[in-house]
Amino acid sequence: MMKTNNVILETATKVIVFIILLFSVYMFFAGHYEPGGGFIGGLMASGAIVLLLIAYDIKTVTTILPFDFKKVTAVGLLFAAGTAAGGLLFDKPMLTHWFTYVNPPLLGKMSLHTAVLFDIGVFLVVVGVTMTIIQTIGESE
Amino acid sequence: MAFQMLLNFFLAFLWMFLKTSFTPAAFVVGFFWGLVILFIFRSYFPDRFYLHRVVAIIKLFLLFIKELILSNLNVLKHVLKPKMDIKPGIFALPIDLQKDWEIMLLGNLITLTPGTLTVDISDDNKILYIHAVNIDDVKESVDSIKNTFEKAIMEVSR
Repeated sequence: MMKTNNVILETATKVIVFIILLFSVYMFFAGHYEPGGGFIGGLMASGAIVLLLIAYDIKTVTTILPFDFKKVTAVGLLFAAGTAAGGLLFDKPMLTHWFTYVNPPLLGKMSLHTAVLFDIGVFLVVVGVTMTIIQTIGESE
Repeated sequence: MAFQMLLNFFLAFLWMFLKTSFTPAAFVVGFFWGLVILFIFRSYFPDRFYLHRVVAIIKLFLLFIKELILSNLNVLKHVLKPKMDIKPGIFALPIDLQKDWEIMLLGNLITLTPGTLTVDISDDNKILYIHAVNIDDVKESVDSIKNTFEKAIMEVSR
């Protein structure tokens, strides 16, 4: 089979991947007050990586992102389990969350919530699992 | 570098539009997340992660400030000395820089180092002719200073 020259796809991917990734970060942080959250953010981030996989090949993508996605899943689970167990350290039931308001310069009033850490875990697990599924299917002949 | 920087600005504005809050704070947050994404995808680009070059430019600027202060102190010492025991002279310095703006920068930085002055540049842009106030003790130390300057400039343009 002749290798087709997909310059248009690759060049468009170069910018669109970053737009999708930024949107996934936005979705991740929207989760508390608006529709969004770790799951959809993670899916969208892995969607961006899948777009890279379509435009290039598996070898190129593994050089761009030299992560073992199974380890990404493990780190995500650690995040979730850690925040779940964190409540136990302060004599509270498991999965108790805690928040506070901070006023960093320039950024204005922000609320910090430990649920974000749990959501990071969800995000990483979703990215890890999706990428593991797609890469293992793609690699097997 | 220009592409990465433009993309970073574009992502910051995109973040402002997603948030529908057009404040400097939203811009900073969007710029930060764009920077994080660009950092994770740094091997996707043919050239280096652009923050390296920004750091190199800041380092060169600090070096410039330091040399400016040192050179002025040196001149002050020569002016206040009762005896005129200086040995002026002109020497040639071969350079490896190629682009015009690099040579311009190096020439101007040498002019601002203690006791040296760029007099002329050879026609093929390979040799700088430098006038030194005190050629005895300056020559070797200045060579080392120029190594740091040339290296710092190369760090920026590489």
